[in-house]
Amino acid sequence: MSLMTMIAKMSEGLEKTCAIFFLTLLFAIPLGMIVALLRMSKNKIISGIVRFFITVLRGTPLMLQLLAVTYGPHYLFGADISRNKLIPVVIAFSINYAAYFAEIYRGGIESIPKGQYEAAAVLGYSRLQTFMRIILPQVVKRILPSMTNEVITLVKDTSIAFAVSYEEIFTIGKQIANSQTSFMPFVVAGVFYYLFNFVVDRIMGLFEKRLNYYS
Amino acid sequence: MSKETKLDQPASAPILEVRGLQKSFGSIEVLKDISFSVTQGNVVTVIGPSGSGKSTLLRCASFLETANGGDILYDGEYALKDGVYAEKKDLNRFRTRFGMVFQNFNLFPHYSVMKNICEPPMLRGCGKEEARERAAQLLQKMGLEGKEDAYPCQLSGGQQQRVAIARALALEPEILYFDEPTSALDPELTGEVLKVIRQLAADRMTMVVVTHEMAFARAVSHRVVFMADGCIVEEGSPEQVFEDPRQDRTKQFLSNYTK
Repeated sequence: MSLMTMIAKMSEGLEKTCAIFFLTLLFAIPLGMIVALLRMSKNKIISGIVRFFITVLRGTPLMLQLLAVTYGPHYLFGADISRNKLIPVVIAFSINYAAYFAEIYRGGIESIPKGQYEAAAVLGYSRLQTFMRIILPQVVKRILPSMTNEVITLVKDTSIAFAVSYEEIFTIGKQIANSQTSFMPFVVAGVFYYLFNFVVDRIMGLFEKRLNYYS
Repeated sequence: MSKETKLDQPASAPILEVRGLQKSFGSIEVLKDISFSVTQGNVVTVIGPSGSGKSTLLRCASFLETANGGDILYDGEYALKDGVYAEKKDLNRFRTRFGMVFQNFNLFPHYSVMKNICEPPMLRGCGKEEARERAAQLLQKMGLEGKEDAYPCQLSGGQQQRVAIARALALEPEILYFDEPTSALDPELTGEVLKVIRQLAADRMTMVVVTHEMAFARAVSHRVVFMADGCIVEEGSPEQVFEDPRQDRTKQFLSNYTK
């Protein structure tokens, strides 16, 4: 198999890799905020439960979580939701990344000085207005570097979907590598992930620059 | 009393009245039975050693801290009665009557000077044009013309504090609280902020100023309140408190400033 055919074949998985990546961000970014707010709840029971789930999601391999979400329903209820593998993959990734995002959000929210809340309260901002207008924009700026880290990790983590044979780039590459007994597909995959992250890094850099108008 | 005077707001009622105010942080009693009032157009300065409860007093009056007992009245209406607060919507109404200037300015760093000043009135229903016009006037009064589009991080501490004063004034409060407004500033910048507060006093703005600037307190205030250990030790005209303090605790405190 020529290098060109190999690249062409693997490119067919690009769409699926992108699907995992963008859908995970789409769900995990808001879900993480909900988790962060629950984690910071004054109700000890709520914050305790959420805290426990975060430790589980961060403390066990994503691959294991992916297998559990994909095949768990089959073993537990005999239900088969694994026909379209994208669904369990996105569910597992979103929940896992939401846990990480939540802790980043929490750090960002807790780093905002108390005086910002006090000034807003005296100036008549409601709690929601204070959060949406005063706190959140400042949090976004503070957490952007940490988020860049996570997003870059996510690009590479999409390859974990090979564990459930979801045919994204890495899965296809592994299939070709097995049939051709060649290491070349892995090199192609590596170059691909590098290029993807090169773009991610640039885009996140642009976001950071846009928020640089104040310090 | 003129016929126009509203019955629910007797002309004689002080803008702020505090009676028997108590506040504890855990087992530490920070305010013990504080009573004082501020009438229209008066400037009251609160002086005293660190930890005497001066700031806590302002923070209770502005609902940033929850008092444990006593009364707080605005224009004769109860915001706090026997340690029980009025309903939330009433507290929000009382919030429109006072403004607060903090030691650390607490400007919103992601907003321009203009937006810092304009957004709060606009959230209360003020039109954009009106808010901007008023902000421009206030900035001029604060000596900050041309700083509309600057961000707080581009300003000196003194300029930031003057923006904070403009931001508080934009809501047209009846009474303005200053919580050590110059404690984060060097002497040069302190001067420019005190000048602005003096100007407000000359315009008959009602103010309560917690400060360590004794010369300023003496020059600007109608009444001086000396606090120590959560109590008002002495209260009187600036001449009386500074020149002829009656309490030993006051004499001892003031002696630190006359060395």
